[in-house]
Amino acid sequence: MLDLAAIVSQVRRGMIPAHIYADPAIFALERDRLFARSWVFLAHESEIPAPGDYVVRRVLADSFIVARDESGVVRVMFNMCLHRGMQVCRAEMGNASHFRCPYHAWTYRNDGRLAGLPFHEEAYGGEDGFARRDQSLLPAPSMATRNGLIFISLDPDAPPLAEYLGDFAFYLDFYTRQSPAGVELRGPQRWRIKANWKIGAENFSGDSYHTPHTHASVVDIGLFREPRASKRKEGALYTAGPGSGTTYKLPPAGNGQSDFAGQLRYVGYPDAMIPAMAAAWSDRQRALVAGSGFMVSAATLFPNLSFVHNWPQIDAAGTVVPFVSLRQWQPVSERETEVLSWFAVDAAAPEDFKRDSYKAYLMCFGSSGMFEQDDVENWVSITDMAAGTMARRLNLNSRMGLTADGKPLKPPLAAAFAGPGLAYQGFGEYGQRHWLAQWSDHLEREPESRSVRDLGAAW
Amino acid sequence: MTADRPLPYGDPAHLAAHQFLVEEAALLDAADYAGWLGLLCEDIRYVMPVRVTTARGAGSGTLAGMGHFDEDMYALRKRVQRLATDHAWTEDPPSRTRHFVTNVRTFPAAVGELRVQSALLLFRSRGDTREADLLSAGRTDLLRETADGLKLARREITVDESVLRTQNLAVFL
Repeated sequence: MLDLAAIVSQVRRGMIPAHIYADPAIFALERDRLFARSWVFLAHESEIPAPGDYVVRRVLADSFIVARDESGVVRVMFNMCLHRGMQVCRAEMGNASHFRCPYHAWTYRNDGRLAGLPFHEEAYGGEDGFARRDQSLLPAPSMATRNGLIFISLDPDAPPLAEYLGDFAFYLDFYTRQSPAGVELRGPQRWRIKANWKIGAENFSGDSYHTPHTHASVVDIGLFREPRASKRKEGALYTAGPGSGTTYKLPPAGNGQSDFAGQLRYVGYPDAMIPAMAAAWSDRQRALVAGSGFMVSAATLFPNLSFVHNWPQIDAAGTVVPFVSLRQWQPVSERETEVLSWFAVDAAAPEDFKRDSYKAYLMCFGSSGMFEQDDVENWVSITDMAAGTMARRLNLNSRMGLTADGKPLKPPLAAAFAGPGLAYQGFGEYGQRHWLAQWSDHLEREPESRSVRDLGAAW
Repeated sequence: MTADRPLPYGDPAHLAAHQFLVEEAALLDAADYAGWLGLLCEDIRYVMPVRVTTARGAGSGTLAGMGHFDEDMYALRKRVQRLATDHAWTEDPPSRTRHFVTNVRTFPAAVGELRVQSALLLFRSRGDTREADLLSAGRTDLLRETADGLKLARREITVDESVLRTQNLAVFL
């Protein structure tokens, strides 16, 4: 019997009942209370650039068609035929003006409207018996975009996306708006891991502490200069809106001058891209890089979209090239997660940068990435261990950075960190606790009752 | 340059290509990665596109511009160096792997080169509590005759799943 109130009260004091990482009852609550409500990322507009382009993506078990209709409008439609419930579109991607159900040939335009229904007259008595005119695939209850990122919520009364993103939008731009042209996504690589979905989300939300050890091998081989513990603890950890993340401290600028271009050059951005970055970002965003000297690295936007920005050496000459990846932790069950990992790059970047940045991504993250390989090994092991009886007798400690009475070990960075939200320098599980607090908020709230759509019934 | 029909299975070039692939698999299953690198040309291209489910007749079924691997010699050397460190946790303890290589077909290519198609089934077992993983793939290789015998100049791995059922690709196919 699940004592949710007890679990949540432990989590809120930074102690995590270990079984939540492998518990089917918790997973059911996450499905019904969290994913039935929260804004969730589905796709990026650059994945469907032309009219008729579509990709099929899921929110847990619910399949959605994300399509650009003939007039160029992005639509998100529940991928279930209104008649007998077939999955209307069974490809993962493509280009189509219509989607035709293979069962009885009900046919929908790429904006979701029902266009064809065989033997309408003979089978239903025409419009009188079944009003074909106003039918369409169920649209996502809420849909909105930011920087081309397409989000949906299964809650028709979800708060506006911009309000939801709040202060995290400031950090989102570093990954997805490096020039006025915006970002383009390639991928995703998709693979399944026998790990609970929360572990990856929490890791990216603020775990700078694992980097020096988990990723020691990539420093051993000279792929990455930065994860050394001494370097990593100089970084700032921030929480902002529904997100949080890690940063690296950049080397001090020369002569006490803040040097925006120099900091971007240090992480490998070519001069050709820097003016556009300066133009795309606000004074305050530039100040985080130049004045404060912090460069974003990993982050998570609650619940399950994470970001990473790193700058490995991609050749024997030691050329440093940065890359950005977006990744989604798609829950399959309490013990399995599908990872979707995209490479993201500024759409206006020079072609040689795109090529080199792609190489940097492949070496570091994604299904074969040398960082990611060791992360996943840990997360699979945690999930294994969390499934047993003894795990129900252990609360894991997620209180790093707090004193015994729950105060931060040191004060937050104030003027030294130009970004919004709260930021602390050094190690601490600020982001993970911030993520888990939101998780707790959702799990505590009873699910709303939802209206059910009746299809074409006349009485 | 490519013939439509494979060389007869008794052709010495086919036999040499087949032996190359079987010997390569033996090195990989023995985790002799340094030895494996010795089978690669300096200008190796080692790619594994991401497969996607598309409608019949609608494209190649691979994702444009995205692979699981897209490697040159530098990248492969780094991967091998990493596995040789004391900190490559994902392969310590190591996986038990078996590379089953079959359906080998050899085609003449440019002078001094052979194009070889094969089917690969990779069995990967980790630990004592987990289900084992299987990866099924087709491979198209370009083998080059060198002073040191045949070497791999290019490999394209056509994996048969759009969503891989293995925790990572800390293995070579």
